[in-house]
Amino acid sequence: MAFDAIFEPIEIGKLTIRNRVVSTAHAEVHATDGGMTTERYVRYYEEKAKGGCGLCICGGSSVVSIDSPQGWWSSVNLSTDRIIPHFQNLADAVHKHGGKIMIQITHMGRRSRWDGFDWSTLLSPSGIREPVHRSTCKTIEEEDIWRIVGDFAQAARRAKEGGLDGVELSAVHQHLIDQFWSPRVNKREDEWGGSFENRMRFGMEVLKAVRAEVGDDFCVGMRICGDEFHPDGLSHDDMKQIAAYYDATGIVDFFGVIGSGCDTHNTLANVIPNMSYPPEPFLHLAAGIKEVVNVPVIHAQNIKDPNQAQRILKGGYVDLVGMTRAHIADPHLIAKIKMGQIDQIKQCVGANYCIDRQYQGLDVLCIQNAATSREYMGLPHIIEKTEGAKRKIVVVGGGPGGMEAARVAAERGHDVTLFEAADALGGQITIAAQAPQRDQIAGITRWFQLELARLKVDLRLGTRADEATLLDLRPDIVVLATGGQPFLSQHPEWGYSENAEESLVVSTWDILSGKVAPGKNVLIYDAICEFSGVSAADFLADKGAKVEIVTDDIKPGAAVGGTTFPTYYRSLYEKEVIMTSDLMLHKVYREGDGLVAVLENEYTGALEERVVDQVVVENGVRPDEALYYALKEQSRNKGQVDLEALYAIQPQPCLVDESGEEGEGFLLFRLGDCTAPRNTHAAIYDALRICKDF
Amino acid sequence: MLETLLPILIFTALALAAIGAVRRIRLWRQGRPSPVNLFKGLAALPRRYLVDLHHVIGRDKMISNTHVATAGGFVAAAVLMILVHGLGIANPLLGGLLLLASASMFVGSLFVARRRINPPKRLSKGPWMRLPKSLMAFSIGVFLITLPTVGLLPEGLLEGGGSWLLALVLAGVVAWGLGEMFFGMTWGGPMKHAFAGALHLAFHRRAERFSTKKGGVGRSTGLKALNLEDEAAPLGVEKPADFTWNQLLGFDACVQCGRCEAVCPAFAAGQPLNPKKLIQDMVVGMAGGSDAAYAGSPYPGKPVGEHAGAPHAPIVAPVVMKEGKALVDADTLWSCTTCRACVEECPMMIEHVDAIVDMRRHLTLERGKTPNKGAEVLDNLIATDNPGGFDPSSRLNWAADLNLPLMAVLKQVDVLLWLGDGAFDMRNQRTLRALVKVLRAAEVDFAVLGTEERDSGDVARRLGDEATFQSLAKRNIATLAKYRFLQIVTCDPHSFHVLGNEYGELGGVYDVRHHSTFIAELFDAGRLTFTPWKGGRVTYHDPCYLGRYNGEYEAPRNVLKALGIEVKEMERSGFRSRCCGGGGGAPITDIPGERRIPDMRMNDVKESGAEVVAVGCPQCTAMLEGVVDASAEVRDIAELVADALVESPAADTSRRPTATTMAEEVIV
Repeated sequence: MAFDAIFEPIEIGKLTIRNRVVSTAHAEVHATDGGMTTERYVRYYEEKAKGGCGLCICGGSSVVSIDSPQGWWSSVNLSTDRIIPHFQNLADAVHKHGGKIMIQITHMGRRSRWDGFDWSTLLSPSGIREPVHRSTCKTIEEEDIWRIVGDFAQAARRAKEGGLDGVELSAVHQHLIDQFWSPRVNKREDEWGGSFENRMRFGMEVLKAVRAEVGDDFCVGMRICGDEFHPDGLSHDDMKQIAAYYDATGIVDFFGVIGSGCDTHNTLANVIPNMSYPPEPFLHLAAGIKEVVNVPVIHAQNIKDPNQAQRILKGGYVDLVGMTRAHIADPHLIAKIKMGQIDQIKQCVGANYCIDRQYQGLDVLCIQNAATSREYMGLPHIIEKTEGAKRKIVVVGGGPGGMEAARVAAERGHDVTLFEAADALGGQITIAAQAPQRDQIAGITRWFQLELARLKVDLRLGTRADEATLLDLRPDIVVLATGGQPFLSQHPEWGYSENAEESLVVSTWDILSGKVAPGKNVLIYDAICEFSGVSAADFLADKGAKVEIVTDDIKPGAAVGGTTFPTYYRSLYEKEVIMTSDLMLHKVYREGDGLVAVLENEYTGALEERVVDQVVVENGVRPDEALYYALKEQSRNKGQVDLEALYAIQPQPCLVDESGEEGEGFLLFRLGDCTAPRNTHAAIYDALRICKDF
Repeated sequence: MLETLLPILIFTALALAAIGAVRRIRLWRQGRPSPVNLFKGLAALPRRYLVDLHHVIGRDKMISNTHVATAGGFVAAAVLMILVHGLGIANPLLGGLLLLASASMFVGSLFVARRRINPPKRLSKGPWMRLPKSLMAFSIGVFLITLPTVGLLPEGLLEGGGSWLLALVLAGVVAWGLGEMFFGMTWGGPMKHAFAGALHLAFHRRAERFSTKKGGVGRSTGLKALNLEDEAAPLGVEKPADFTWNQLLGFDACVQCGRCEAVCPAFAAGQPLNPKKLIQDMVVGMAGGSDAAYAGSPYPGKPVGEHAGAPHAPIVAPVVMKEGKALVDADTLWSCTTCRACVEECPMMIEHVDAIVDMRRHLTLERGKTPNKGAEVLDNLIATDNPGGFDPSSRLNWAADLNLPLMAVLKQVDVLLWLGDGAFDMRNQRTLRALVKVLRAAEVDFAVLGTEERDSGDVARRLGDEATFQSLAKRNIATLAKYRFLQIVTCDPHSFHVLGNEYGELGGVYDVRHHSTFIAELFDAGRLTFTPWKGGRVTYHDPCYLGRYNGEYEAPRNVLKALGIEVKEMERSGFRSRCCGGGGGAPITDIPGERRIPDMRMNDVKESGAEVVAVGCPQCTAMLEGVVDASAEVRDIAELVADALVESPAADTSRRPTATTMAEEVIV
């Protein structure tokens, strides 16, 4: 059987898990309501259970104590009995579908922020500051230690009383337990620091107290790292020693192992490996831990594909695989394997939109699946066929918004035609995928290609749709997702011209798409600080250009998320790209064979010049509105989207007129960048919520 | 002159016929013994002929009527002729009846002749082409010579001086008729079918397949067990003489009508099998000779005239033989899907499948020549008790989240749910989960054997490995004997058939039900409520092992009806359903043809205009789902039922703290 290793049940403690796939703990950032799990939370996990996931460990960094701030990431609050009935809802929803659910519990120690909510005094073994959150803390006292040990036990009791199947003690990501473990942070000389046994003591007291509280018939596991990757931190051998030490107690039911510490920006990026990493980069660390323990080992990190999961499990490296982002992209992953629909799995591409939002305190969303975590709003993962009339729907634009619109409309059972001016689908994704280490983003397009072929959407590639062509098809609905163009004309001094011969500046799209050959000595001016600028810099440097990337913002790539900018920086620094902030592009002019870029300091107004042979400007996108205005007046709804219905996930009222009949003529909707330039998720979300009722 | 000539002709023909009969019987008696009750059999003959055989022939009214007129006319005419012309009882009443009988036979023979003007491909030609003329010769001849008897022609007409020529001509015609009808009957002419056919009906190896006066339907489809303890008995059939005598007799009854050929899925797929040719080859084999005289469609890809056999020569050439050809090639035997379409259609009640499996038994047990994946599958069965070679302890992996009740724990339940080897197959696991959901919704008291279950032995048996079959069966029977249950329910018609029809001979007698039957009963008892069907057009594919093997055509249709589905029947459905190609180990032995059987079946589905084809067999599901670019979705009946279930909300809340799990499947 092709995926036998995935579908072999396993016992963790006294709990039977139906398969080897786990959605591991992550902050959902929508537990809200004072740390009480909400309908949104329940439906998010229910969808995974319904989709066949074996075990969900929810509530990354759920707090056990009142002085481990809950609010920053809206994590689950286990410091009060009020959580118990909420857990019962959650447990029932998951159990109903045969899944199991545990929760990660922790005290985050110094790894938080103090400047909000209760203005908590953060704690750590030796009061050493944490750089990622810029947080200072007090040195923990013995009284705090015993209080927190008791809090862990009470939190575990609440999880058990709420019907959950277990708890995972977080001793990873530099939370309080591993702050005690790591000599990098624990400099104590009392019985809680120094020797191995002393550094282990806090975690051991927590473990013993938890086990004593919950008894034998409740799972208690630990999540640990396999190597902190700091010279002064815990090495892989240290971690093996630690794992074996706790395992020897016989009261740990499982270990979850991930590679890398995460108390610096650079190590944090390892923890949730983005698309620049190879598959399962840290599996060897988890396998090393498995060698020394007698209980099941879970490992998550860049395991996205069923074949990969099967290979890892069959090889015996670990006992369970975490496929967490894979489930965010497609909560029906397991069901699709079972249904023989592997090609229909929406595979995580490692864009890390989810985790990068989380680190900004925003709810976890998927770049390519707008239904994830919006199940409670009624946004469907499976589009039902319409019971109404079969419509002729024309979509213009084959970027993410247009592809999603075509997919959703076709799933509804309509007759769909999609026009794309380029020879291939993808839109801006195709451009983004040209950058070094960013090729996997094209996975978004690849999935849509397969789906649109399966749904028999009439694809008109290499065809620029005009008004006449569209109306000839006698559409009932026209969806415009025509995107936009780089906005280089904003400042005439930049010397942009539509005539490529005359233009003094080119766009990052020109560079990445290969339309313009890379220069030798290039200045990139990046007013946006998202992916395009740093991608172009990386691309040009990769081709051998000397590159300086300049921004008037606080730093180049400032708007790229916390798990992604470090991998750009690694590459840019290695290729000696110069990153300069606080300078605005004032003017560009030609001098001899070269170009002179005049830069103006944002704060002093001082001008400086660069002599280069190519100036690349990233100034965002301007919507492509021509077709919209050509069609707007002829359309029944004048191109308007009813915002109240849109935000409430209700059908657009114009889909049915007052008499309940369909009117004459066509409806017109536009979405994505051709309305206002935003991002991939925004375009896909627009498309899903507008088209789901077609 | 005729008065002298006729008795001589008649009694000579009868005498020759008697000699021929003895010779023919000797051929049959080359076969191994098979005890039958001669008198009981002969007594049952009329009913078997008039009811069971005509039930089959009656499917084609034209031929049925033709046969009644011709055969009825002939039998009556033959008896009367012996009385009137042979023994000289010139009674006008008998003469009148004789005229009627021969006239009826003549009318019948006109229809026989008409059928031969442009005969369908399935009919054999050769001597069969002259049969209508012979029938006419006999009937006209007898009619004419009887006219004087009843005074319609002057007595002396044929006595006069110049009329000897006329009498001679008439005698010649009668002689021709007598030759075909009496002499040919036992010496191998087309009329042999009447002689052998009648005795075959009387001494049929499966007396239980005939209906009874008390209203029994009559069905006997289980394979007969080999006696593995008897060291003298051959393991299967190596040479024609290894068949039982009444099997040989059965082969001889063949009328070469080709109804079997017309329905054989392997033949249609261009695989080297034609059931009619196979039976004719057995006839050749029992008498010895070559197949050169065979005048029907050959095995696809195998020209006639290259094979020959003898009663005591191997049917399939051992490798050591030069030329490599004997009576039949092995790939012919391995092409059969054991779908029983041929047996179902055969008006002479011949048992093709028995014969094929008998010969396979020899190839597998004595020669170890199960082709392609066959040996691997049998090895797997021996090592792991399942054909896929899966870890036996993983049989219940698919249900890890369902908390299925185990027989080992409960010991006694109403329903034992037999999983079958589909438990290892991801596709069938969906069916099983759906079925569990249905059983739970109807609050059925059920349990599974879980890892105690073994493969039923179906595939092993049909691949000829009787030893492995019996080993599996005996161990399953021993396991089942530990527990108490009212009935076994299974979604696998192969398990259903084997447990219900083939374990009995080995001591395991159970009330076994296919899940469609059981679901229909639950629905009738008001234990299931469905939301009305909203999907597209649905057709139903009858699995061979449910339909032809077990006569269950109604229950699946009743379930679909209960779901609010109006079934769009395929042209070939019910007892004429076309096999999916998955039975008899055919996907394992995988004999190449010109096209694939499941492709043809999905084409049938397409022609019905259905968007969904409902099935009730894991094998059918696998075969039909394997078709590329299929126009319809394949859904097991259990899945359709599970999807339509209306669950009572009360039941839902009562379950709460332990939250009984349902199938997690998200149907995309």
